[in-house]
Amino acid sequence: MLEAFQESIKDYSTPPEKALIRDLTAKINCYVSFLIECRPLSISMGNAIRFLKTRIVKLPLTLSESEAKATLLSDIDRFINEKIILADKVIVRHAVTKIRDGDVLLTYGSSSAVEMICLHAHDIGKQFRVVVVDSRPKLEGRLLLHRLVRKGITCTYTHINAVSYIMHEVNRVFLGASSVLSNGTVYSRVGTACVAMVAHQFHVPVLICCEAYKFYERVQLDSICSNELGDPDAISKVPGRKEINYLDDWANRENLQLLNLIYDATPSDYVSMIITDYGMIPPTSVPVIVREYRKEHLWI
Amino acid sequence: MWYRSASFILDKQQEENDAEGKPESRLLSTASPSSSMADTLQNPNPQISAYYQTRAAHHGVVTTDWLAQAQAAVGRDPDDGVSEISIISTDSGKQLSVIDEFNNWRKQPDLAEAVAAIRALAWVIRSSEATTMMELEIELKKASDSLKSWDTTSISLTAGCDLFMRYVTRTSALEYEDFNSAKSRLLERAEKFGEISYKARKIIAMLSQDFIFDGCTILVHGFSRVVLEVLKTASQSRKLFRVLCTEGRPDRTGLRLSNELAKLDVPVKLLIDSAVAYSMDEVDMIFVGADGVVESGGIINMMGTYQIALVAKSMNKPVYVAAESYKFARLYPLDQKDMVPALRPIDFGVPIPSKVEVETSARDYTPPQYLTLLFTDLGVLTPSVVSDELIQLYL
Repeated sequence: MLEAFQESIKDYSTPPEKALIRDLTAKINCYVSFLIECRPLSISMGNAIRFLKTRIVKLPLTLSESEAKATLLSDIDRFINEKIILADKVIVRHAVTKIRDGDVLLTYGSSSAVEMICLHAHDIGKQFRVVVVDSRPKLEGRLLLHRLVRKGITCTYTHINAVSYIMHEVNRVFLGASSVLSNGTVYSRVGTACVAMVAHQFHVPVLICCEAYKFYERVQLDSICSNELGDPDAISKVPGRKEINYLDDWANRENLQLLNLIYDATPSDYVSMIITDYGMIPPTSVPVIVREYRKEHLWI
Repeated sequence: MWYRSASFILDKQQEENDAEGKPESRLLSTASPSSSMADTLQNPNPQISAYYQTRAAHHGVVTTDWLAQAQAAVGRDPDDGVSEISIISTDSGKQLSVIDEFNNWRKQPDLAEAVAAIRALAWVIRSSEATTMMELEIELKKASDSLKSWDTTSISLTAGCDLFMRYVTRTSALEYEDFNSAKSRLLERAEKFGEISYKARKIIAMLSQDFIFDGCTILVHGFSRVVLEVLKTASQSRKLFRVLCTEGRPDRTGLRLSNELAKLDVPVKLLIDSAVAYSMDEVDMIFVGADGVVESGGIINMMGTYQIALVAKSMNKPVYVAAESYKFARLYPLDQKDMVPALRPIDFGVPIPSKVEVETSARDYTPPQYLTLLFTDLGVLTPSVVSDELIQLYL
């Protein structure tokens, strides 16, 4: 999304008799509402857009148009580089210290941070095995599985129904996050809370890998408020199995509603540690990071 | 390692591959550039944690006369040590002598580990020939790294070194000062650190007085000088309380502590370690010290602390930890085995066949959910505040 904004800024030219700052902000708002119509924004995207808008507003008025555009483009580049790419490197560096030889790691769905951790740990020669847990309808775990197996990591693939069966073998659970809220609640793909809960019950440490730009100042107590709805047809149809498609005419039934949630909230009690680019912190310290770093450094 | 996995066949194959392929990994690394010095810089006995050996030496059961003599003897040592060692001026010689200096200071029973480390680093500053701040910083960094690698198991040593290095980098950022004043400021700070540490114990003792009420029974585990200070202050302010001490095998810390408490006329009862759950009914609170306080808010302390905390939690007794703020470390253990192993030889009194393995770890990790409050010189804190303090310190 940020790269798309970069392209749009490159192609932008100030209309005559209008101030760059205000006009560009208005254009950005148009783009954002278009994006929202296609699909509701994720929290990290919201943070990035807020960063872009503050940078635009902070532009000194004396700059010419081309200078202003160049500054904005370099700011976006810096954000991408520092907050996303370098942050991922730092997270991987911290996380591989928590993987010992002979460990069995469990992961759910497909998180880019967790994938990088597994690949890096394999590269530096650690011996471990990964259990990839997957769930319908997205079946994102298959992509992760494909990439890990191609690298030569021993993997096990299972469905989320079997997570309590497999959990006794597992030493560590690595999960990704879409966002972490101020009370330590982790907002992530639906099913994550389930995995974290089972891991907690089996006394398996749960490590969340999340870059700091995804931290958000809101507090949420349950998963229902401000969630995103996915396509209900995706859960009613099972591809390749026509004989069990009993829900084909679900739309006609009055007392039936299909609910396909995309995100869920994992309470902070089930999380042992959050690995961010600021180090390894307990979930209770998220508001401290937000407070200390937000104003100056979190987005700049 | 035991594998609990149903796929034990797969794991066994991996084990075979591991046994062939993996090279031996040493616990410690040397810091010296020249290979000839490499042997002398290594800790002579990496299997035994030097930190716990020293503590055992301090807290072993001895008669008080012998102890007074030993203290007097050691007290004279550091001064002699300094004048001898300052003659050596080569770089690798300096590395060697930082560790010597540190070991000299560490021998004093009343001195905290971190303070000994900082005194050793202050000696490095005093005897350094650097002319710029950058040079001095680099020298200090090398000395601090060699100290840390000398004993990787001591958390307060690592934390103390890191703390002093942070102060150094902060001071060196003030470029406008001339070098000598900056150097003297660093030395001043190092000297002050010793005072701060001593004062910290007094502050902690004052803060914990509110929690000790008349007629209470306190359970104490391990020999912590901070906890001893707390109890001393309480008895001096004429509070009526009694103390249950665990025996603390294999260091016999309980015997040492009960000696000290008997001197203060505090009613003491000794328990064997297994009798903790049995006596937990009559206990009102538990006081422990800490070897290190980790980022999650948990503590690393002498073996047995976790057990006591578990029993206390299940019977709803509060567990109070008394620790100075320089013990906060940037570690985050996930379970008991996630730390650098610190091993101590255990003497069972009878010979044990060589086939029998002995668990020789000297310490365990108590997760924060079993601790009620931490008494530190920064105030009375809940375990979740430790991470806040660390973030602010290492900002």
